[in-house]
Amino acid sequence: MADVLRSLRLGGRGDPARACALALGAEGVALSLLVGNGRTAEPLWCHPEVSARFEELQFTLGEGPGPDAVRTGSPVMEPDLDRVRPDRWPALLPPARDLGVHGVCCFPLGIGAIRVGVLTVLCDGDRTMSVQQSADATALAAALTGALLNGDGRGQWGEDGNGNGDRGGSGNGGPVLGLFLDRPTGLHRAAVHQATGMISVQLGVTMEEALLRLRARAYGSERPLGEVADDVVARRLRFNDNDASGNGDGFDDDMNGPYSPGDGKG
Amino acid sequence: MIGMAREQRLAEIFVEVADSLVEDFDVIDLLQRLSTRCVELLDVSAAGILLVDAHGELQIIAASDEHARLLELFALQHDQGPCVECYRTGTARTNIDLTRPETAAAWPHFADRARETGYVTTHALPLRLRNRVVGALNLFQSAPHRLGDADIALAQALADVATIAILQQRTLEQSHIENSQLATALTSRILIEQVKGVLAERWNTSVDDAFAAFRSYARAHQLRLADLATRIIAGGFDTASIPAPASAAETTPAPAPAPAAPEDHTR
Repeated sequence: MADVLRSLRLGGRGDPARACALALGAEGVALSLLVGNGRTAEPLWCHPEVSARFEELQFTLGEGPGPDAVRTGSPVMEPDLDRVRPDRWPALLPPARDLGVHGVCCFPLGIGAIRVGVLTVLCDGDRTMSVQQSADATALAAALTGALLNGDGRGQWGEDGNGNGDRGGSGNGGPVLGLFLDRPTGLHRAAVHQATGMISVQLGVTMEEALLRLRARAYGSERPLGEVADDVVARRLRFNDNDASGNGDGFDDDMNGPYSPGDGKG
Repeated sequence: MIGMAREQRLAEIFVEVADSLVEDFDVIDLLQRLSTRCVELLDVSAAGILLVDAHGELQIIAASDEHARLLELFALQHDQGPCVECYRTGTARTNIDLTRPETAAAWPHFADRARETGYVTTHALPLRLRNRVVGALNLFQSAPHRLGDADIALAQALADVATIAILQQRTLEQSHIENSQLATALTSRILIEQVKGVLAERWNTSVDDAFAAFRSYARAHQLRLADLATRIIAGGFDTASIPAPASAAETTPAPAPAPAAPEDHTR
């Protein structure tokens, strides 16, 4: 697993889904991103074919462990689909069985209310998931969250010639930035998440964009994220639409949708 | 608290916890109550519960109070401090004198900050599950008095209850669930920090006051903190129905834009 994480960080070539499936000892792996204001799931990479088909199935039907994980923000672990109550996912279970899917575990990618995607792991014929496997998958999901928040979704996996460019590159409403190379630091600070919430109200934007604006401000002013967050929480710093910081303005074109938290109800 | 009174109180607390565990309970709220009970029973100044995240770092999940300075002390322990050691070794570190030079040498940032906040002693007890350590219970004291063996045993019992609360239910064969429950608890905590910010901004109040109002509303209406936070952030909940903190009284319910925040167009 460490090797896989390292290669993701270095932007290694080759098929990341295949590497992840091997490292996890899983039958298959799929990664989908949530794109646009409708937050539809868009497959970024899958291995092997059956995981692509299962992914398509559950997000077309709108039911299954993936949609549940996205909705609740919690992992959904069903390593043995035969033990799932038939009425839980009535439309999904019969065709999934026909595909030969034994069991599925889905791990949401995100930070609090921020949801960027979902990692789907297909279990093998043992229909179990070991503690080690779930720990590895959780670590992988966390690493992918960091990479996606850094906007690596397009730059690394979409255009590096591994054949996935058509999937990652189009219609991705998520943040796409080459600015941040390492996984976000400072996220252990409560103030960072509090400031994110405040900025989302100040700008009328999603949590995802609010965090991005906060990080851009920190990056642009060469200050630690936590320190800038402290300024926001202490009301020494305010974000507004005439933000002259420069860094906050270059990448919000496709994210300024109608969404605003609690629109008209506050 | 001494003798019978404490034993009686302890029994009540275990009954309270057992009662909360049977239903579809709010883990964050329960852990927060447990933290305040630690303060009460052990006669310490502050308590917090930290959980390990997917990166192997400790994150605060609940605290006896939510003041920024205390939260910061817990946050510092993502990479240094007694909780990190306790987590790595799986053994309790108790009666650590924050004023000793050795302590400052071991964890310079942490020890400085803790002393600045007014604490002189700290303790860290592991959250253990079978052969795994999933976090730590962290206690702070502003007055120097040693926790005796009985106190430490009690603190460990409370830490064990916290572990049970986080990794409740399920059978051994489903032990893979443990990781997802850890992840869920950590996600809930971040959600709550985000909603504190949203409410503080809407009410033009401090995040602490915003949280107090948010929590009383959730408790009064028996809503889970994380569920209510999710609804507020998704815009599916009218926050005007939550009584705003007194400090926000002048600017909150205004149908017209509040004078203090004219650039806020989201109301």
